[in-house]
Amino acid sequence: MPEIGIVLSTVVSGVLLGGMLALTALGLSIVLGVMRLVNLAHGDFLVVGAYAGFFFLKFTGVDPLVGLPVIALLLAALAVPLYHFLLAPLSTRGPEAQMMTMFAVSIILENVFVLAFSADTRTIERDYATLPLTFGSMTVPLIYVIGFSIAVALILMVHWLISRSGFGRDLRASSADAQAAEMLGVDVKRVQMLSFALGAACAGVGGTLIGAAFQFGPSSGGAYLLNSLAIVVLGGLGNVLGTLAGGLALGFLQSIGGLVLGDGYRDLVGMALFLLVLAFRPDGFLARARS
Amino acid sequence: MKTHSGLAEVGVLCGAFVLLWFAPVIADDYALQIAFRVLIYLSLAESWNLLAGSAGLVSLGTSCFVGLGAYVAFGLLNSLDMPLPLVLVCCALAGGALAALVSPALFRLRGLYFTVGTLALAELLRLTMVNVSAFGGASGIFLRQDPPPLPELFHYALVVALIASLSITACARTRVSVILRAVRDDEDAAAQMGVRPYRVKLGAFVLASALCAIAGGVQATKLGAIEPYGMFGLQWSIDVLAMVIIGGVGLRLGPLVGALLVVALGEALADYPEAHIAIAGVILIVLIRFAPRGVVGVVASLSSMMRRRAPA
Repeated sequence: MPEIGIVLSTVVSGVLLGGMLALTALGLSIVLGVMRLVNLAHGDFLVVGAYAGFFFLKFTGVDPLVGLPVIALLLAALAVPLYHFLLAPLSTRGPEAQMMTMFAVSIILENVFVLAFSADTRTIERDYATLPLTFGSMTVPLIYVIGFSIAVALILMVHWLISRSGFGRDLRASSADAQAAEMLGVDVKRVQMLSFALGAACAGVGGTLIGAAFQFGPSSGGAYLLNSLAIVVLGGLGNVLGTLAGGLALGFLQSIGGLVLGDGYRDLVGMALFLLVLAFRPDGFLARARS
Repeated sequence: MKTHSGLAEVGVLCGAFVLLWFAPVIADDYALQIAFRVLIYLSLAESWNLLAGSAGLVSLGTSCFVGLGAYVAFGLLNSLDMPLPLVLVCCALAGGALAALVSPALFRLRGLYFTVGTLALAELLRLTMVNVSAFGGASGIFLRQDPPPLPELFHYALVVALIASLSITACARTRVSVILRAVRDDEDAAAQMGVRPYRVKLGAFVLASALCAIAGGVQATKLGAIEPYGMFGLQWSIDVLAMVIIGGVGLRLGPLVGALLVVALGEALADYPEAHIAIAGVILIVLIRFAPRGVVGVVASLSSMMRRRAPA
């Protein structure tokens, strides 16, 4: 067993990272809830956000964390035409057509990244990215704390948006029963478009945060998509705060898995959890608490 | 009527099989290589079409079962030195068993999670092979014996493709096809009529996975060396999905036409791998939107339009 300081540092870092990922997962969860669509390009939206942060810093010199609203808007602006031209025309054709279309978008994006930005891995370089933060025997990277705080603040904002605002009411109605919502005067198409844009914005902002903490490359999206899905399933579908809890839980369990079995097993733990939770607790660990 | 055309289909398949059996006599190495790839792809596409076209289950886990078949084949060949046909039977059993094992997780929420579940499963297996040194780790495993010569491998691929095609014919031309479609179109109604949707989907998934695992075993034997990134790579799943969508989902000839077109596209763009995949993606989007029944569907509706116009 390694010494207590290392264990604590690893676990806390894992939980912080899980909180960062929860923001991306939240975007996936919103789209899944409202459109019944598993957006297979969600991980690539995250990578778009990471590249956006990278080039934002390179060309403006302004810190990408300051530019987060711009990046969110950029991703939303990218998502609206995708919804309008690719997904909306397929809305009557069952979930498979939309899902396969987003899969095609995903493989196109990955190869466009390679062609445009080369296959090199990159990282958004800031001084605070490498700065350690020490509490007693525990050390965590400062960027994890910053990213975690921003992610949690944004998740709480989205929670407020969905549970309190008029748009949130329409969103909840559309995801509970789209037909009934439509009959009661909700513009479901518009709600879906805005949800898709909101989902992409969450992925993009999450991507900038992750791009500042880790290396990323053209094909990083796949792993983040699967981890985000594990978080969504852990937290229970359509539950914003559950998604946050799912992120923290995944981060915790992955860091434990990494400590006990070795670092290569971190992602493996995520995949195994995803399948186990689907098999045994398909409504998420928080299902009982809600009902 | 239906059994008649079913028997005719079996006849055509067996006839094609006998003719192709003698292909190595006249074909050169390059042609055999291409034919081998078409046959492997055909087997994978037939099984994918059974899942998606008949049972409504869109899988992104083809690579999972291809990779499993590859690793099982190498394990048995290297450690027990079993004869190849027996090894391939074991591949099929392993593929079917894994499918049955994970089905409780993958069939949750009416298959909403099936697609991503298969994706996660492939990633899980790949990471296992990368991390566990007994499976060769990231660098993979070599086959200790020499792979069989190309003509023999071609014959194996031909047999696998025949088995796959005959299984699908058996599913498509008998009562099974009605049951599969009933489950695909309306699970509740099918359950009301006494069909057990879970068992039907499970059967299709197990059969399709067993076929993919055999194909994986043959492919691996040809390669002579396997590593987790290639055998469990997403490329398998992308190619298979592309083949069936390009050919025509749920149509009998879809996989064959799709396999020929995808292999041809791959050969044409062999020097530009990134452009190749991106172009495949664009083709997928266009076809899903404007020709959901693929090339075969377009040809079929064109020819029926011509026939209707001809008498006037």
